[in-house]
Amino acid sequence: MLDTATSEDDTNLLVAIVDTNPLAWQQSATAKIPLSLDDAIRQILLFFNAHMALKHDNKVAAIASHIGHCKFLYPVTDAETHRRQANPSKIAKDANAYPNFKDVNDDIIESLRSLMADTDTPQKNLNDGTSMISGALSMALCYINRITNQDDLGRIKPRILVISVSPDSPYQYISIMNAVFSAQKMSIPIDVCKLYGGEVAFLQQASHITGGVYLDVENPQALLQYLLFSFLPERYARNYICLPNKEQVDFRAACFCHKRIIDIGYVCSVCLSIFCSWSPVCSTCRTKFAFRALPPLAGKGRPAISRTASPAPSTAASPGSSSPMSTA
Amino acid sequence: MSGRKAKKDDDEYVDIDDAIDTHENEDNQQGGYSWEEEYKRSWDVLQEDAEGRLSSVVAHLQQQMKRRRLLRDTATVQRGIIRHLFLVIDLSEAMNEKDLRPSRLELTLTYARQFVTEYFDQNPISQLGIIVIRDGVAERLTDLSGNPTDHLRALKNKRNQETSGEPSLQNALDMACASLVNVPSHGSREVLVVYGSLTTCDPGDIYDTIAQLKKEHVRVSFVGLAAEIQVCRTLCKETNGKFELEGKVELVQALTWPWCFLYLGSYGVVLNEAHFKDLLFEAIPPPAITQTRNTSNLVMMGFPTKSNDLHPSFCVCHSKLTVGGYICPRCSSKICELPTDCDVCGLTLVSSPHLARSYHHLFPVDNFIEVPWSGINSLHCFACQTAFESSPPPGAGLESNSGRYSCPRCHNQFCVDCDIFVHEVLHNCPGCWAAGSNISTVQIHSKKQPALQTDVMPMEGVTS
Repeated sequence: MLDTATSEDDTNLLVAIVDTNPLAWQQSATAKIPLSLDDAIRQILLFFNAHMALKHDNKVAAIASHIGHCKFLYPVTDAETHRRQANPSKIAKDANAYPNFKDVNDDIIESLRSLMADTDTPQKNLNDGTSMISGALSMALCYINRITNQDDLGRIKPRILVISVSPDSPYQYISIMNAVFSAQKMSIPIDVCKLYGGEVAFLQQASHITGGVYLDVENPQALLQYLLFSFLPERYARNYICLPNKEQVDFRAACFCHKRIIDIGYVCSVCLSIFCSWSPVCSTCRTKFAFRALPPLAGKGRPAISRTASPAPSTAASPGSSSPMSTA
Repeated sequence: MSGRKAKKDDDEYVDIDDAIDTHENEDNQQGGYSWEEEYKRSWDVLQEDAEGRLSSVVAHLQQQMKRRRLLRDTATVQRGIIRHLFLVIDLSEAMNEKDLRPSRLELTLTYARQFVTEYFDQNPISQLGIIVIRDGVAERLTDLSGNPTDHLRALKNKRNQETSGEPSLQNALDMACASLVNVPSHGSREVLVVYGSLTTCDPGDIYDTIAQLKKEHVRVSFVGLAAEIQVCRTLCKETNGKFELEGKVELVQALTWPWCFLYLGSYGVVLNEAHFKDLLFEAIPPPAITQTRNTSNLVMMGFPTKSNDLHPSFCVCHSKLTVGGYICPRCSSKICELPTDCDVCGLTLVSSPHLARSYHHLFPVDNFIEVPWSGINSLHCFACQTAFESSPPPGAGLESNSGRYSCPRCHNQFCVDCDIFVHEVLHNCPGCWAAGSNISTVQIHSKKQPALQTDVMPMEGVTS
């Protein structure tokens, strides 16, 4: 992990990943405490404005994590800006609005509108109705990498905020973990704001590993308050402010055969898949395993006859250990 | 910040001789030495462009250097994920030479520290041990363990940095072999030797040692600082053997070619400091398994839960009073940190992110392909939104490189910085994961079994 010291003079870059999964938002809008996407976006835009208001050079980027693909909401590319400026009718000039805020808000709203209106998205697999959070994380990290390389003074301190309403997608576990480890290596905290959708173990692990804030929002109508209190402080202020996180993150694994959480498992040394009980063939990579000497059965006297394929003795009690007591 | 500046210097360091020699060598003679080849005019590479400037040529060379490091083997093969590596460092008189700045010894120790950190970062469930040789005697600095701080502390210790006498290769290899014999069969057994001297002072016949290493399936790699030594070359050849990668037979003779570092090098002689670092770090990604025996096992591992006590209790690793720690699921003793082996019952304890760190070795991202001007389909990079040049510069044909690199699966186009970032740090293609098109098929090849398509991706850490 990079040891990056923060200071008051840093420029803070906030990359927000907004989960725009329409199925989940529809459910959230009709839940017990309803929050529709419109309300949420209004509050999120206010939060972005607050972030930019803290310092004159604070920057914001937003990525939408939709159900089939991901898209940058802000900043928009030059080509897109030209196209929008060619339609001046949509954007009214308001003398009372601070132009920096207004530009960001208008761009994000326009991008979201075109995202929702675009029903042409190529969706080969619907992936059980979850949004492409790993793609959004990857794009966020590439964008941060570009900004950091362009920054010569080393003053830009990035962080990622994920606003999530969808459940975990097991297909994306490996890519989410890859993104999380990259963020850990680059010292980028990943904050998670969970609005709706139950427990998400992957995002909890992500915020724990990178040292970010994790918050389960209980009253979604008060989203802006949660955002301003827990997610607004920048990395320097986090040294002094106590922010919520999940104390007990469960890092145990689930076995591949039954999807049960296990305490002790058997790991295939080839493909690293986890099983709850010993079997002679790995179901993922079809590797055949060497039979080991079985431990003596209690009360039956003789141990079972064993066939060892490899000469090195490997009992279940000492895998991978080379204790100092062994003669060298 | 100084770390990043140093990295920038590394990136911008362009050695024209390197750029020429290795490119030409991979096309031409296999197994020749540089003095046997045609005289090269390396200054001809720097040609001024139409306006008399060299900057574009230098930028182009830099880009080439950057990408050259990337093109690595992305075949999905069996790799030894659980590794046991001995790092052997030569502390003989020859290491005081100053041909590598500031001296061979200091540079070796600096890189060794970086190597240890990076090794445990990429292979969290593996183990490392350090052996040093001086005065004809091999001394074990640290035993095989999975904790990087022990190794770093040993390397920092001033007493361990003194050089004297002659090195003894046989003693070092015997010591490493004796420790590796006790390693269970599913773990890979490797030795990486950093050798600066041209001689070795052995008590017996080194070919006996070579035979024993072969018998115990220990794989030896060398990084030579002085020149190529025949005995070392034989050692590497004998202990590595032949292995097949997806039908391509990659002979180890190619690996022992001193200037060639594009293959999985097992013997390399350094050309300069940057090359030394590259050679040393080549040992970090897990090597492909040579199928000489059935080495796969189901390893029993425990996944402990964190305990947050209010009162301090003793841990079994340091016998100190600590608050909080991990509880071994088999013997319920308290351990301070993961990954480790439980000191009481010997069970390997890991958490699921440690296993997840190694997944990218098993499912690597495909190399991106350069896109000529005739094949462009976007005006900005898909991942970072950098704008590309929209039309080729005057004088460049339609087939010249447009600065875009495309993923062979999702056909999105990326800039060169994103290409490097994706392959070196991120290990996810943003295009593939942001488009939902190819998530569910993963193919795992192994030499003997047929290719298997699996739809089941690991679902770990789910609490419900």
